[in-house]
Amino acid sequence: MAYAAKAYSTVFLVNNSKGMAPTKGYEGHKSNVWGAGKVPSSCRGRYSMQAVTVDDRVVPEMEKIRPGKFGVYGGKYVPETLISCLSKLEAEFNLVLTDDQFQAELATALRDYVGRETPLYFAEQLTSFYRDENGDGPEIYLKREDLNHGGAHKMNNAIAQAMIAKRMGRQQVMAATGAGQHGVATAAACAKLSLDCTVFMGSADIEKQSHNVLLMKLFGAKLVSVGGGFKDASSQAIREWVGDLENSYYLTGTVVGPHPCPSMVREFQSVIGKEIRKQAMERWGRKPDVLVACIGSGSNALGMFHEFIGDNDVRLIGVEAAGFGLDSGKHAATLARGEVGVYHGSLSYLLQNSDGQILEPHSIGIGLEYPGVGPELSFLKDKGRAEFHTATDQEALKAYQRLCRLEGIIPAMEAAHALAYLDKLCPSLPNGTKVIVNCSGRGDKDASLFFNHMPAAS
Amino acid sequence: MAASTRSIPSSSPSISRPSSKSPLRLGRRASSPPGSDSSNRPRRGLAITCTLTREPSAVVEMTGPAADVLRPDSFGRFGKFGGKYVPETLMHALSELESAFHSLAKDEAFQRELDGILKDYVGRESPLYFAERLTEHYRRPNGEGPHIYLKREDLNHTGAHKINNAVAQALLAKRLGKKRIIAETGAGQHGVATATVCARFGLECIIYMGAQDMERQALNVFRMRLLGAEVRAVHSGTATLKDATSEAIRDWVTNVETTHYILGSVAGPHPYPMMVREYHAVIGKETRKQALEKWGGKPDVLVACVGGGSNAMGLFHEFIADEDVRLIGVEAAGFGLDSGKHAATLTKGEVGVLHGAMSYLLQDDDGQIVEPHSISAGLDYPGVGPEHSFLKDIGRAEYYSITDEEALEAFKRLSRLEGIIPALETSHAIAYLEKLCPTLLDDTKVVLNCSGRGDKDVHTAIKYLKV
Repeated sequence: MAYAAKAYSTVFLVNNSKGMAPTKGYEGHKSNVWGAGKVPSSCRGRYSMQAVTVDDRVVPEMEKIRPGKFGVYGGKYVPETLISCLSKLEAEFNLVLTDDQFQAELATALRDYVGRETPLYFAEQLTSFYRDENGDGPEIYLKREDLNHGGAHKMNNAIAQAMIAKRMGRQQVMAATGAGQHGVATAAACAKLSLDCTVFMGSADIEKQSHNVLLMKLFGAKLVSVGGGFKDASSQAIREWVGDLENSYYLTGTVVGPHPCPSMVREFQSVIGKEIRKQAMERWGRKPDVLVACIGSGSNALGMFHEFIGDNDVRLIGVEAAGFGLDSGKHAATLARGEVGVYHGSLSYLLQNSDGQILEPHSIGIGLEYPGVGPELSFLKDKGRAEFHTATDQEALKAYQRLCRLEGIIPAMEAAHALAYLDKLCPSLPNGTKVIVNCSGRGDKDASLFFNHMPAAS
Repeated sequence: MAASTRSIPSSSPSISRPSSKSPLRLGRRASSPPGSDSSNRPRRGLAITCTLTREPSAVVEMTGPAADVLRPDSFGRFGKFGGKYVPETLMHALSELESAFHSLAKDEAFQRELDGILKDYVGRESPLYFAERLTEHYRRPNGEGPHIYLKREDLNHTGAHKINNAVAQALLAKRLGKKRIIAETGAGQHGVATATVCARFGLECIIYMGAQDMERQALNVFRMRLLGAEVRAVHSGTATLKDATSEAIRDWVTNVETTHYILGSVAGPHPYPMMVREYHAVIGKETRKQALEKWGGKPDVLVACVGGGSNAMGLFHEFIADEDVRLIGVEAAGFGLDSGKHAATLTKGEVGVLHGAMSYLLQDDDGQIVEPHSISAGLDYPGVGPEHSFLKDIGRAEYYSITDEEALEAFKRLSRLEGIIPALETSHAIAYLEKLCPTLLDDTKVVLNCSGRGDKDVHTAIKYLKV
């Protein structure tokens, strides 16, 4: 098969049907189910990729040809043992997409349990703040995912997948969580659906996130402490899942991971974008001009963007965490500073050093502290369909306080990164541009963090 | 203004001397304990006179359906309850408020603006959620049992019903040209709601909170400060909600020209009980519509927790004229009704005047306010809205109480069964289901007001619960 365009010549693919993760020679990853880092040179030259022409509805077309692949990105870099469970999961996922009863039940749960649809809120004071001396400036709207049950967009995915687990007859749900947001959402959804829930969390994270740990326990989840961080917790979760495939379900929270995980999570988060299209039409009779979202692994961003990928007149802007600054080495700006490699079973950008070791990310927005990013976003970056920028801890803290003081909305520190980017964005936009920022979560959880960093503000 | 033991001046012959059995208290302030915060107190004592009598014949006859009685009448009374027991300095502000309220109620532009904010900012309408597992929990062995629905006020922006009223009153204050807002808060939810709307509408915001409450609701204090409000600790009395309310009233007396007082509950002098009720009535209106959509009928039983009474009035008001709808309010029994440490005003209180209104309140034989107790700060109030007192007396609504322990169990129960963490205040209503459901016929539709989310209570609850 002919090789792809030159742009991909530095990346080498593993053939999907083999699905082997390159774990040899990577220190510290021996016990890791995923394998990570650069594809070793021994794999070079044996693989190929079908060239796919780029047109309007690029991603969905590609998915029909190669499910789970976004250009070169994505895939299923997992041991053989996982391939069949992932296929079963994919089959079930495809079934529910067309199952009217499931969709109706999900719609009811999203409406009555989660509290959708979330408002598209005109941020009047914030809009005034960004007006120039002539009184010109964009109009800023917030998509209020902070109003969801649980306080973030995470529940959209958690409830849908918990319903899939129930449908598949799997009584035991496993999940891995870093900051704890996904763990809490999963624990809540499992409580509602009377599923048993086990959450795997890194021991260091358990100490840092004591409030989220309390919430998970309150919901009746069993918490398992795993030495290390999120990647170790998710490896352990997968291991347990593989050990009990008949009875258990692995509930993923991010758009990273082997196929079908990124597609599933994106599908369930895409309700955000779908509502935006409808609300924008009702309000202005047209589409929005610019969409802005923060990026950790990318689930809230993709949830917002996916609906509009084929609309080239809608600008898509993702904002990652620059932590202490991009040159400090303490950040989580995967798309800005990362390189392509395999992480958590999929090919994507990730923060790694020249030996292929994963770099420790840092951000004041703990949900953004992730060294990888969803493969679909990596693809959108390479294609130039979406722009990616960053915001530092300081910029996020300022934006956090600004939204509190101007709109009486406490944003999640993660979402504050998206809001921070408005400082650079707004002066460049023509008068009346319709900008929508995804307010992906509420920030009550970050109040004490804020006061620790900005004591003068209290 | 705390109730006192001062007897009524004998120059008013129409007023009979109160008997020790059911004392009538006036709002003359007793001398405050030494060392209490006096920075905002006016110099002179506050003299109040009134012409209420104790003769039953002079009281409005309480027969016939509740709908026939004006609630409130032109004096701001619900039967004998309510009224305006305030210093002269506040009378004008209260009348001004009342006129503004009535004219804005008919102002279409105002209503449209308010509806827009309730929808896009607050996130209304809140869902009417079928609590499947809770329903199953109460199903009897023969498969029968009521259907339990939760009105999800916990999903509102800021996490409780409080914001419905705060948003409306902030808009009203703006119309009145007031730039300074004050409020009292117990649990902090009303304080957060007020700070929120003040940030949104660019108003100066001062919140009075009891020092003891500030400790047990630290998260809410953080939130208020984040939103730009000044939180003033009140150390007088027992440093809880009633003292914060008194302090707020004192501030208002001093600054009435520039300041609007966003009272957080259906208590206080007229027109507050009526206004706050009207601004929360959206809860009941939505419930009627949603019940019709969901099962083609009305709810059979409405259950809500009662502190000051705002969330309960918000749910009940729409249905008061529907005599076939049962109204149940649940108060805090704290350590137990006989322990003396509770906040079950309607069960154990007696009639008196507190914070400008005549209502039931927890008082001792000398007419001193008894310190209430509840594990939930929002129910820890020794008074109750006058309209609730009225509904109790005419038998239109029933009032029960739930202990701290029962509330904590219910807190855990809803978390485990529905993945929803209720506020500890709300947990009292949920706890009452244990007693209520076994008595209900099959298929009875119960709507419970899930008045707030419980993230703020997790640390308190965990101390007691074994999770």
